[in-house]
Amino acid sequence: MRDEYLLAALRMAAGADPVPGRVSADARAAFHLRLPGGIVATPVEISGPRGARSGGGAPDIPEDEGPGVRRFAVTGLTIDVEAVVADGRLEVAGQVSPASGAETDARPDSGPSAEPGTGWQVEIRTSHLSKTRDLSENGRFAVGGLPTGWVSVVCHRPGEPPVSTRWMHVRP
Amino acid sequence: MCSRSVPPSMREVTSMTVEKSLGCLDQAAWEDLVARFGARMWAVARAFGLNHTDAADAVQGAWLRMVENLDGIRDPERIGAWLVTTTRHEALRLSRGRRGEVASGHDLPDAVLPDPAAAIVDADFGRHVWERLDTLGEPCRSLLRMSVLRPEATYAQIAIRLDISPGSIGPTRARCMSRLRGLLEEPA
Repeated sequence: MRDEYLLAALRMAAGADPVPGRVSADARAAFHLRLPGGIVATPVEISGPRGARSGGGAPDIPEDEGPGVRRFAVTGLTIDVEAVVADGRLEVAGQVSPASGAETDARPDSGPSAEPGTGWQVEIRTSHLSKTRDLSENGRFAVGGLPTGWVSVVCHRPGEPPVSTRWMHVRP
Repeated sequence: MCSRSVPPSMREVTSMTVEKSLGCLDQAAWEDLVARFGARMWAVARAFGLNHTDAADAVQGAWLRMVENLDGIRDPERIGAWLVTTTRHEALRLSRGRRGEVASGHDLPDAVLPDPAAAIVDADFGRHVWERLDTLGEPCRSLLRMSVLRPEATYAQIAIRLDISPGSIGPTRARCMSRLRGLLEEPA
């Protein structure tokens, strides 16, 4: 019998702390954050040196990866996300990287490290607000002015199922 | 094939039945889940001593874990226990973060298995627990009442209110909870 469950049962019986309306409203609204047909990328440990902006880190880690970067991956796609709070608002930056040799826009000059294809976008989602951005040529993205709390990044590729990160909690 | 799945009425979270795949839930069924389990989830988050903002985040985190796991929850019959257990995990993670404890590796929880013990998070059972709690002597009765009714109270505040030393609050509360559990295990 867990203490927290006992205390929670006592709290429910006391009826002194009802669920705030906004909590219930957010819970109901979460239904619209489903991603039918989508794929949830798996979190991946980043074992190399963190914040190695000068390079020289593990070969599979971007050179300018910061200390708060989280990596998510599915077959053929990696999403790196760094979320920070500045002036009370959430700033999210990152990079979408197709695996080398993955099917992309197949540009002849894409080189050994594949780049995102035409029309690829990222959608940065919070419980209350989402923003969509086109990816840069090297797959980078950045968005600011989001509410703090829960955030997830979704990569949309034409003709492919959307790939999302797990939901991450970012609060000062 | 998806069709509307409406969870039937239930008394215990572990006996919850969802008739169809969770991936087929429609808005009405989802709102039914919120109505049935929202108060339980909130009570669990607050039982960790989280303030309103963090408790709200813990509850919303559990709903978002459900969003990302809709096709992967293998035991929809125990969705209530899954939601309460996931809330507990998120609340525990937030509580540890507030205490400055750093999680190892990525701090995202793996798949959650519904905890059958979550079934006791119920107002009817809570009333039964109150009856037993009120039979405890002091300082247990007052200390546990404060733990329940004022979860954000600091040790300093509790110490002043109950006239005990702050250093003894944690051990005393553990002993009191143990006594309460003992009373609950006795035949009625």
